Amino acid sequence: MIKLTIDDKTIEVQEGTTVLEAAESAGLFVPTLCHHPQLTPYGGCRLCMVEVEGARTLQPSCTLPATDGMVIKTSTKKVLDARKFVLTLLFSERNHFCMYCQVSGGDCELQNRAYDEGMTHWDLQPNWQPFEVDASHPFIVLDNNRCILCRRCVRACGELVGNYTLGFEERGADSLLVADYDVPLGESTCISCGTCVQICPTGAIIDRQSAYQGKETEVDHHVGVCVECSVGCQRDVLTRDNRLVRIEGEWDAPLNHGLLCDKGRFLPLEEDRSRLLTPLVRKDGNLKAATWEEALQAISEGLSKGKELAAVASTRLPVEDLALFKSIFADGLNAGVVTTFEEGAATASIAKLADKLGKPFESRIDTLKETDAVLTLALDLVEEHQVAGFFVKRQLYNGTKLITADSKQSKLAEKADIKLTMKASEEGKLLSQLLAALENTAENPTLSEAATILHESENVCIVYGKEFTANADEDTLDLLLILAEKFDANLIGVKGNANSMAASQFGLDAPLTLDGVQSAFVLLADETPSQKLVKTLENVPFVVAQAAYGSKLTGNADVVLPVTMWAEQSGTYLNMDGRMQKAVKALDAPEGILTSHEALQKIADMLNIEVDLDWNTSLMARTPVVEITGV
Amino acid sequence: MSLLDIDERILQVVELVDLRATPITDLKEPDEDGVTVGILEGGINNTYNEEVAKRMRERCKILVALGDCAVFGGVPAMRNFVGCEAALQRAYVDAESNDSEGKIPSSPELAQMTHVRAVHEVVPVDLHIPGCPPDADVIFYALTELAQGRIPDIKDEKLHWH
Repeated sequence: MIKLTIDDKTIEVQEGTTVLEAAESAGLFVPTLCHHPQLTPYGGCRLCMVEVEGARTLQPSCTLPATDGMVIKTSTKKVLDARKFVLTLLFSERNHFCMYCQVSGGDCELQNRAYDEGMTHWDLQPNWQPFEVDASHPFIVLDNNRCILCRRCVRACGELVGNYTLGFEERGADSLLVADYDVPLGESTCISCGTCVQICPTGAIIDRQSAYQGKETEVDHHVGVCVECSVGCQRDVLTRDNRLVRIEGEWDAPLNHGLLCDKGRFLPLEEDRSRLLTPLVRKDGNLKAATWEEALQAISEGLSKGKELAAVASTRLPVEDLALFKSIFADGLNAGVVTTFEEGAATASIAKLADKLGKPFESRIDTLKETDAVLTLALDLVEEHQVAGFFVKRQLYNGTKLITADSKQSKLAEKADIKLTMKASEEGKLLSQLLAALENTAENPTLSEAATILHESENVCIVYGKEFTANADEDTLDLLLILAEKFDANLIGVKGNANSMAASQFGLDAPLTLDGVQSAFVLLADETPSQKLVKTLENVPFVVAQAAYGSKLTGNADVVLPVTMWAEQSGTYLNMDGRMQKAVKALDAPEGILTSHEALQKIADMLNIEVDLDWNTSLMARTPVVEITGV
Repeated sequence: MSLLDIDERILQVVELVDLRATPITDLKEPDEDGVTVGILEGGINNTYNEEVAKRMRERCKILVALGDCAVFGGVPAMRNFVGCEAALQRAYVDAESNDSEGKIPSSPELAQMTHVRAVHEVVPVDLHIPGCPPDADVIFYALTELAQGRIPDIKDEKLHWH
């Protein structure tokens, strides 16, 4: 431990702590701009200068390591004067006129720091050099005129996301934030994750969707979990007057620590499907608006029971809804098939393996954040489960080795040290070849090299997705276990949708077979049905669809129940590494719309079915593939 | 004009002061032998503004810059990014609303347009009250303090412009 004195307070901190962190741990406020808790200290803006006893000049506290016996002063006249001078230089360097900036009035860190210092004006003449605004990107506007050159965005793009799109060209006052080799952001390698927008302290990087829609003081926050894939990132949904304004990542979230991908941050605000606002019942061949009572009556008359009934649900639904769905259709009506749209592709085979082993065998995503070698099996983490991909990509420049094994084009493979190819559904063969390579019997030098890397690396992760699990037979999975043991590797399975793992725990992972089925209940919620599903259901005589948006499937259905979309309901989600997390309601649903849970309950009441609402027990009844936490 | 945002409270201010000159009273300029407080709104946009600022400085013991235009240059200062010539050309000749005979006004009687500056770039200023416009409560606070012989302290909430 190190003991130092800051503003007459004696503080004890761990070795390696910076003076800034030490001051913050003692509840002292030192203003910063270029510093961000998720980034490596940079020391660029000089706002956090402090006086160090014995030192000739002021020192930046964000990069200064605390040492034993140090005496620090954070608010002497010398420090305060320096702060004001730094702010004066920053304000006068570019167009920092608050009255025509999107983020002024509370959302700008530069303006807020000037307020803290009581600055009514700045003494230097502004530098009236205009820079071009880059509005080429669909979601992000990049305005160098508002930039304070703190490079938070550049560091976030590299250090956190591993994308290295943003950088600076020129020097000094001419420094220019650019994408790649100075191409328009919209034509660059940007993946639209929006981390730069969230981390920018000024109005230099703003997002188009929420610009001028509401300041921090005018919006409501709803902290919950993203439902776009099974990573389960924590995010903050900002609303104003029952309207979605913006989505941000939660910096303090232990899983994603502020990161989101375009699917979680920007795309939900681009929703343009037509909303279903009333129940519909088919009369004389046409779908007609109806009351809930009429729709429920039509369901009780048309829905068959037992083997003639099929029920299928979205894995974007909360655990509570999936449990109720199962209770009604599997236990209450004994439907021939009760499953999800994914039909267990991402989970069924590994869940069986866990059943067989009688214990979880997968690891937490956290192991992927600090790993020396990663092997991905039939999984492109640039296309899906992107935030998990960020964890891998950002380590590649620090020496972490990436080995990809794919049967088709993969963007992640472009970054791989070793790119293995295999034929579709021949994962088992590849695994046995790797095993052979380990025993020096492989003829293929690439395979040998891959095996050597995996064998010699200390922390190894093997990550696989639904293409692997859907094809994997028992032998392949046994090979996977042997490989994991040989390489001392952590196994991580990405599970598809937000609640695919919960569906698996409930046993909702059977293939959707419709032989002899007379009626089907399709719980779409806010999911868009696949063409395959629409086609499969075309021959079923009676179809009930419960959905938020109109689609070909609801158009073909005989009864349609309008329900809430993701932002209009609360619920629990079980992510790919077994974390139980809550999503909270952010918006009120349009009038007359029920949540999926309420609609299911109404159906149960109509059909006189006793439902089991104790989902916790049934969720834990099956051995999970990875330990479930946060129950 | 933002002074009028203080509504009926302006009567309380009038009671406290001996109002010598404003642009809308008979006397447009401060007394030659000087006044205690002078308030300037607006940035320095042309040679006439310069004259006014210099005269105010000479005749006022305390010179106050009120509002973002006086404190920073304000919205008119956006023309500094393109320069006077381009701004005049755009406004009087190239603008879609002009006919083909649009021309830049020039007369020896007109003040010469300049780079837009904050008041303090031309003459020393004793008190800055930023805001676009400054909040009515802040204006009232500042005026009553000045009228009672104190220099208002513009900080924290009084500095925040929402």
